[in-house]
Amino acid sequence: MSLFGRIFPKNTGPREQVGGVDPVLAAVTIALIGFGVVMVYSASAVEATVNHKDPQYFLKRQAIFAVLSLVVMWLASRFDYRRLQKGAVTYLIYGGVTGLLLACVAGLGKRVGGATRWIDLGPIRVQPAEMAKLALVLWLAYSLAKKGDKIKSFSVGFVPHLMAAGLMMVLLLKQPDLGSSVVLLLITFSLLFSAGAKLGYLLGAALVAGGGVVVLVMSKAYRLARLMAFIDMDHHRQDVAYQPFQSVMSFGSGGWTGLGLGRGLQVLYLPEAHTDFIAAIVGEELGFLGICGLVSAYLLLVSRGIRIALRATDDYGSYIAFGISTLFGIQVLVNLSVAMAIVPTKGLTLPFLSYGGSSLVVNAAAVGLLLSISRPRSAMAVVTPARRESRDEPGFDASFLEGGEVRS
Amino acid sequence: MGVLCGLMGLGCGLLVSSAHKLQVDDGQAWREMAEAQRQRRLHVAPKRGTVHDRNGVSLAVSIEVPSISADAFEMLRAYDARTFPDALRRISGQVAKALNMSPDEVSAKIRQKRRFTWLKRRVSAEEVEAIRALGDPKKTANPIRGLQIEGEGRRYYPNRDLAGPLLGFVAPDGEGKDGLELQLEEELRGHAEEVKGLRDRSGRLLFAEGVSNEKALAGHSVYLSLDQGIQYIAEQELASAIRTYEATGGSVVVVEPATGELLAMASSPHFNPNDYSQSPPEARRNRAIHDRFEPGSTMKVFTVAAALAARTLTPTQQIYCEKGSMAIDNVIIHDTHVSEWLTPTQLLAVSSNIGAAKIGIELGESKLYEAFRRFGFGESTGLPLPGEAGGVLRSRGRPWVQVETAAASFGQGVSSTTLQLAMAISAIANGGKLMEPILVKRIVDGQGNLVREYTPRVRREAVPPHVARTVSEMLVAVTEGEGTGIEAAFHGFKVAGKTATAQKADPATGRYTQDRFTSSFIGFVPADRPRVAVVVVLDEPMLTHAGGAVAAPVFRRVAEFALRYMGVKPEGSGDVSLADVGRAASAAASGSAPAASAPAPWRTVAPPVSPELPVIPVNDGPSARLPDFVGMPARDALRTAAALGVAPSVLGSGVVARQEPVAGATVPRGTVVRLFLEPPG
Repeated sequence: MSLFGRIFPKNTGPREQVGGVDPVLAAVTIALIGFGVVMVYSASAVEATVNHKDPQYFLKRQAIFAVLSLVVMWLASRFDYRRLQKGAVTYLIYGGVTGLLLACVAGLGKRVGGATRWIDLGPIRVQPAEMAKLALVLWLAYSLAKKGDKIKSFSVGFVPHLMAAGLMMVLLLKQPDLGSSVVLLLITFSLLFSAGAKLGYLLGAALVAGGGVVVLVMSKAYRLARLMAFIDMDHHRQDVAYQPFQSVMSFGSGGWTGLGLGRGLQVLYLPEAHTDFIAAIVGEELGFLGICGLVSAYLLLVSRGIRIALRATDDYGSYIAFGISTLFGIQVLVNLSVAMAIVPTKGLTLPFLSYGGSSLVVNAAAVGLLLSISRPRSAMAVVTPARRESRDEPGFDASFLEGGEVRS
Repeated sequence: MGVLCGLMGLGCGLLVSSAHKLQVDDGQAWREMAEAQRQRRLHVAPKRGTVHDRNGVSLAVSIEVPSISADAFEMLRAYDARTFPDALRRISGQVAKALNMSPDEVSAKIRQKRRFTWLKRRVSAEEVEAIRALGDPKKTANPIRGLQIEGEGRRYYPNRDLAGPLLGFVAPDGEGKDGLELQLEEELRGHAEEVKGLRDRSGRLLFAEGVSNEKALAGHSVYLSLDQGIQYIAEQELASAIRTYEATGGSVVVVEPATGELLAMASSPHFNPNDYSQSPPEARRNRAIHDRFEPGSTMKVFTVAAALAARTLTPTQQIYCEKGSMAIDNVIIHDTHVSEWLTPTQLLAVSSNIGAAKIGIELGESKLYEAFRRFGFGESTGLPLPGEAGGVLRSRGRPWVQVETAAASFGQGVSSTTLQLAMAISAIANGGKLMEPILVKRIVDGQGNLVREYTPRVRREAVPPHVARTVSEMLVAVTEGEGTGIEAAFHGFKVAGKTATAQKADPATGRYTQDRFTSSFIGFVPADRPRVAVVVVLDEPMLTHAGGAVAAPVFRRVAEFALRYMGVKPEGSGDVSLADVGRAASAAASGSAPAASAPAPWRTVAPPVSPELPVIPVNDGPSARLPDFVGMPARDALRTAAALGVAPSVLGSGVVARQEPVAGATVPRGTVVRLFLEPPG
């Protein structure tokens, strides 16, 4: 049997009626990806011209990633997520990603700007940290669904999950990538909390983790310098706090309506404008109204994800949906906070907007999973079609994602 | 789960509220700060325009000179607190070695980790190479990041001190500080403000749409009326006269009378604008327009012209000159040349003060004053150069009393600049019409479009044409026979001119001194169809001070060179066909002097002063083929060069031993040809 056949089997499982996906979620996601391509062009044209002699260098690449991610999303939405609910598959994914993280740290990684966040896989270069987030969500969902009520116990329900997350976090810290490991920790806590783990354990662990973060910050000179510079930004605007300061300056320049798409001038000064700091360019070019629109879109995305989690027919799907929604929520909150210098620089991408193939494809796959979970499933012969909520995206036709087919 | 959703909603609210504060409440402040940041980094101005002479030879050009700057943040960001001191020491050492600076100096500049710091401006090609090697990963194992090489404009004057005081100079920040560079700053500078906001964080110039053409931003180019060749000779002759007679300074102005175009404006002492800081400020003064002096006897020309125009004097009238001494009120006026009865012509030739005073008093105070004003005295000429002095006629602010009118008639008690004298004598040469002086002929923008053009303009008619003609004829007598200006005459042309030897007033006592003079000569040539008017002024010559002895020879050499250089044929030579010139040239080349027959007309009219004078074909073309000067005596070499329209620069004495460029080279008009002379044998 071919690999394709293994993943998309035709006649397995019980007879079941499968409905269409959540059209709102699909629409928001596609809109964000499209918007991301536009913003990446606006934010990267200068750097692309200077470093690659081609103003469209990043635009072309991001457009290819966007098409690829849409394909991945479509495939993932067609795929029955419950096929992942197997120990072997889950541990294979978790183990594979952990292996990549290990390889990255062990010297196979590509060193850029003092951190090894990249690894070459044949012709493509990937960022394992992005995969780790989704892999951990899948592992936690599997484990929590399997353990059911035993989740309340310390040794069975609590420690193993923290250890699984901890292993990835340690490897991420080795890169070093404090931001991503904090995200992993927050996802773990959120999932454990929603699964019903004892609040006392969580608070205790949170205290320990908080202490750990403090120690980590104090232990690395650059982290401490970054923190001090952040606290005393006015004195470090030319050196360590240059990036957050420029970011705030970009953000602030926008005013109510912004300078207009493609008219931003801060791209000349803001390093990494098209990756981690793309929100600052959105703020500059589209202003406060643009930021409100962006936050609303993410709020809609996360709330649709939570809705899917609540409506899911099984615990496993519910946990996955909740984990993925939390993942998006945390990343968006942290990224925007960094862009406005509410918290120190973290190095986290803004989902769907930041330039980068790994982030885009993994996030699209995550949405694909959400869409797959959103499909109404019943044993009945008559399908209840997914409710169209066309008021959110009136012009958008998401019908191609609504398979509505009968699998038997 | 509800708790987590609530937390997330709270986060969103926090984000939106802080975005509101940042963008809506404080947006204006941030926007201004961003604006300031973009403008602060603008440090390279567009290319400054070139200054050309009338033939297109460059007098002042801007060239890109590399400067080294550093993005110290980029340079040092890979190092943490532990490795920073070592890295700082290593990088400072390497950079200092490459730029010939001290490591401490470099270290102090980069320690602050600023995004932009000048390390060294205007570096040599070797230093650029060394810096490039330091940052090249292929050449060093540990390349230094953040080193930047940028072009900065530097003003360069290819002819060194040629016309230095007139051109002025440009400060290191690119701003014209004196002379023409200051006056035409606006035109030459270009449009710096249009590149605002188009620099990235390392200061690189990034053109947005619309300003992709760098030439559109460049400064305008200026074409002067000056001729480099004539300017060069005027400066050389002025300098040599100052040396010979131990004068403290001087100036020469050469004007084309029919148009008012300045062909040369020399001032000495002069300076080299390439390193202006090495020169004393007084050497930077353009004496031809800044210095006022009492002109003395040269004013008699304008007194006589005014009286003729007012018909209070006739050309043949006899004037009694009181045997050399006359009392007016309580002042006694003397003549150096004691005379009794003189015609105006004789009066000018021997330069009688008494005669001039009588003419002036006869004309009357107000008419004399008005006549001087009509010739342009007492007001600035409006030349586009900063700080032009106007000269003063009524120094006490009231009409002259009789003795002052008498003194003004022979040029004492009034003051003038060299340029004013040049424009006034040009008016006599130009049929009485006073022209506006033209220094700038054309202004052309960076893409070659004409911005402005200056055409000859008559300011006013100073005297009627017939009076001007009569005065011209009278002035020829000055350079002939018993005249004071005999030294100004040269073969083949009738010279009209007037000498002056004016006593200088001592600024301390206010009285005239007995040992300090301003010696000058004003004149034009040829007298009947003037092509050039030349004024020579020498300040305080010591060895001898008579204008006829000191200034007239300078006039002769400059005027003779200018005429030959401009291709003016000697008088009476008639029209020479090109064929004749060609035949004469080939005859000269073959070594046999042409027979005294038709094809060599200029020899038939006036026999040459010296029999060995070579026959020189006059060249009117835009370029000249250089002959072999080697073996020629200096005088012949100068004549040959002038006739070809090139400017000879003579070094040494004797006969020509070597020349640059070599014989046979085709060069544009106005090119300086260096002739190295050695004693013969």
